[in-house]
Amino acid sequence: MPTDRTVVDVDSVTKRYGEVVAVDNATFGLPAGSITGFLGPNGAGKTTTLRLLLGLSEPTSGQALVFGRRFRDLDQPMQTVGAVLESDDFDPGRGGRDHLRVLARAGEVPEERVDAVLDVVGLTSAGGRRVRTYSLGMRQRLGVAAAVLGEPQLLVLDEPANGLDPQGMQWLRSFLRSFAEGGGTVLISSHVLAEVAQTVDQVVIINHGEIVADSPLAALTSKRVTLEDIYIDLINETTA
Amino acid sequence: MTTLIRAELLKLRTSRGTLGLATALLALVCFVVLLHGFALPKDFAVHGRVADGQMKVFGWGELGALFAGLLGALSITGELRHGTIRPTFLATPRRSRVIGAKVVAVGLAGLLFGLAAELLAIGLGAAALGLRGIPIRLDGSDYAQLLTGGVIAGALWAPLSLGLGALVRNQVATVVGLCAWLLFIESLLIGQVPGFARYLPGAAAAAIGGATLMGDVPTHPSLLVPVAGALLLAVWAALAVLIGIVSTVRRDVP
Repeated sequence: MPTDRTVVDVDSVTKRYGEVVAVDNATFGLPAGSITGFLGPNGAGKTTTLRLLLGLSEPTSGQALVFGRRFRDLDQPMQTVGAVLESDDFDPGRGGRDHLRVLARAGEVPEERVDAVLDVVGLTSAGGRRVRTYSLGMRQRLGVAAAVLGEPQLLVLDEPANGLDPQGMQWLRSFLRSFAEGGGTVLISSHVLAEVAQTVDQVVIINHGEIVADSPLAALTSKRVTLEDIYIDLINETTA
Repeated sequence: MTTLIRAELLKLRTSRGTLGLATALLALVCFVVLLHGFALPKDFAVHGRVADGQMKVFGWGELGALFAGLLGALSITGELRHGTIRPTFLATPRRSRVIGAKVVAVGLAGLLFGLAAELLAIGLGAAALGLRGIPIRLDGSDYAQLLTGGVIAGALWAPLSLGLGALVRNQVATVVGLCAWLLFIESLLIGQVPGFARYLPGAAAAAIGGATLMGDVPTHPSLLVPVAGALLLAVWAALAVLIGIVSTVRRDVP
């Protein structure tokens, strides 16, 4: 149920690392209930922007808000925002289920949710195994399980398609659809355009730290113009 | 805060590192206590006291504090190394609270490390000397000092090293630095400039338990009295934790 309420509000955000400007005066917003593809070449500033949004990095100027507040000021962060930044943020010696139990405890999520999310991502039988033994696809799914543990209203995924096989990709797509149909908002970064084009209804494109497009997908593409055409044109124009 | 502490305790319990450190500590204490227990000359005395000489056997429980330090350092540098620091701070964006919960959790674990190591050293040492028919000359106050010393040093060295790890961030650098400092630099300094070195954290720990981290009776009369040692070590730990919190809150998460 899309509404006009703004879930993510990135307002004139700049992040510098010394001389390097990783994000340059970026502004965009996400309406509730949308699935937004955050696109751009490697090194364009996608991950940095997501880290600023999630309070892991501090912007040099501007502000990035979720539900109108800075991430660190949220009362119940896990119940508000779920995120997967890297596909391998696990202690390899800890079991998948224990990884989730720790986070559930820290985020004040009922312990029953651990088995529920393991079931959602299809890791029930592997939950007792150490993450060391997991395939890349299983780690991606464990990351998603951790993100949805607190039943958040916003899901932020950084390059979740990396390393997923076709079945894994199909699973992720249908998972995101049902999440959005339940009223959730999704921000998913990717450079795999073909996959994103099938899933998202909004696109934000970033190049050299600058936002170069922010629009509903339907407004950009048509029968003759694909997302890939638009993307390549925009990146070429803004790289010159 | 209680739930955060419980989460950190669960982290310690479900980490292979904790079990590995505990096993290594107990195995090492067994080895050195038995070695010295069977090698100690019958009437070996230090400072004219046979009881002090027997500390060569019983004092090894202080190794618990060293391993508590390693545990404290790993509790933060392990998260940085494996990347679990990101989900940790996504669940609890107020980073100072995470460090605070870790201080309590590793402090408790360090206390248990110290207690277990002291109990094992006392039990095995008594068994070894008993088998050789050597009467044990330690009295109640010696045992009490060993136990309280091990417990306090373990409970304080863990948060101290946690603070250090939060500042240094790199796991290998933190662990190597910690070991080099305790086992090498401080023992050199206490030999050369005891008047200054007695205020350092390793010497403060030695003052509490009456044995150095290397299981020796402190040979320098300049060491502080136990209560002063405990207070000083607490100040060092608080300082390290404070530095760790500030550097964690101020800097971006890797």
